[in-house]
Amino acid sequence: MTTTAREHQEWSDSLGAWLLGALPDDEAADFSAHLEHCPVCKEDAANLQVAADALPASAPPLPAPSHLKARIMAVVEREAQLLAAAGSEADRPPAPAGRRRWSFGGLSLRPGFALAATCALLVVGGVAALVGEQAFKDGGRTVPATLASERAAPGARAELRIDAGHATLTGTKLPAPPQGRVYEVWIDRGGRNPEPTSALFSPRSDGSASVAVPGSLKGARGVMVTDEPPGGSSIPTREPLLTVSTS
Amino acid sequence: MSDSAQDLRTLADEDLMGLLSRGEARAFELIYERHSGPAFSLAYRMVGARGSAEDVVQEAFLSIWRSGARYDRTRGSVRTWVLGIVHHRAIDALRRAVVHDRRRAGDEGIEERFEARERTEVEVARRDEAKHVRAAMDTLPSEQCQVIELAYFGGFTHTEIASMLETPVGTVKGRMRLGLEKLRNQLLAHVVPAS
Repeated sequence: MTTTAREHQEWSDSLGAWLLGALPDDEAADFSAHLEHCPVCKEDAANLQVAADALPASAPPLPAPSHLKARIMAVVEREAQLLAAAGSEADRPPAPAGRRRWSFGGLSLRPGFALAATCALLVVGGVAALVGEQAFKDGGRTVPATLASERAAPGARAELRIDAGHATLTGTKLPAPPQGRVYEVWIDRGGRNPEPTSALFSPRSDGSASVAVPGSLKGARGVMVTDEPPGGSSIPTREPLLTVSTS
Repeated sequence: MSDSAQDLRTLADEDLMGLLSRGEARAFELIYERHSGPAFSLAYRMVGARGSAEDVVQEAFLSIWRSGARYDRTRGSVRTWVLGIVHHRAIDALRRAVVHDRRRAGDEGIEERFEARERTEVEVARRDEAKHVRAAMDTLPSEQCQVIELAYFGGFTHTEIASMLETPVGTVKGRMRLGLEKLRNQLLAHVVPAS
């Protein structure tokens, strides 16, 4: 058996585990990448996918609780309204390039977000464009995000709206996460690692996104977003796409 | 219900996903109504507690709402895509070991309580489908069925299963693949051809 054939056999042996979700995240990502280049494994996967897809049906059928729908739709309606508001401003020309300096370094949030004050804001609710953090009469405030300059497309913007204990991250022209990954929102509370949240998302086809940040931001230093495997991670595995300082 | 909302009900899942990806909340609501039952059933089967299952379903559907554009109709049905996301979320919850601490004895028998509810046509179809798949799984050798159950519903990795069963990893992976092959053959052998 050649080395190549042996390697292929190792991949092939892992097919069942991959289909069942039994590979660790890194191995699953490697296997997905292998599938893109191996027609034999791809065909085998397609054949066995029938069996894996049938497994959920073996669970005893239960109706979803009615209150769950109300809970989910409350978030969806809120985000839909914010998205609609952001969409009306999506064509606004970006601020002068000389005033925007996207940058970050490492997983830890960079102290002193003076640069953020020069970032152009995505305007929510049809309010005129402003620069830097903005406080509203209703007690809410918006904080612009700092995006990774090497990953964000020109014109990409994001901000965090903090209002009555709720925080919502909105963005425009955000890049799609890498294939097979989703964005995960994290809260930095000053610990060694940021705190994971259940907020996983991918921007829509036009790069817009609106995500409610679960939990309280009281005492938090900031919020960040990284791309992670489907289902999220418990600690970040990538450099952040964007960071927001809330302290 | 408005005429436009009624019109949406006539759309196929794939068409609703197009609207959902543009931020149409009503399209999302219909996708939720159509698939939340199987999603909750799968989540409950995996995490074993009602509250945790609700959390998993909520996270999964909000992820769907926020990433609707990622749905690719060439890779399968919306149902399969939705349940795949639920499965990922449940595995994540299990691996974070959050739900193990939240299992409650009070949840025992939840299936029976729910199954006593009204039996709609959809529910009857779901129950029939469940019986069909369970019957196919019953034909698997026990060691194959065991690793599939531990992996798919238990959220364990192949190395964790190998350790639990004191069996080589290669053997576990082999049983997974053989079990899926046999399950596929059983399912296809009993498909009733369309008349």
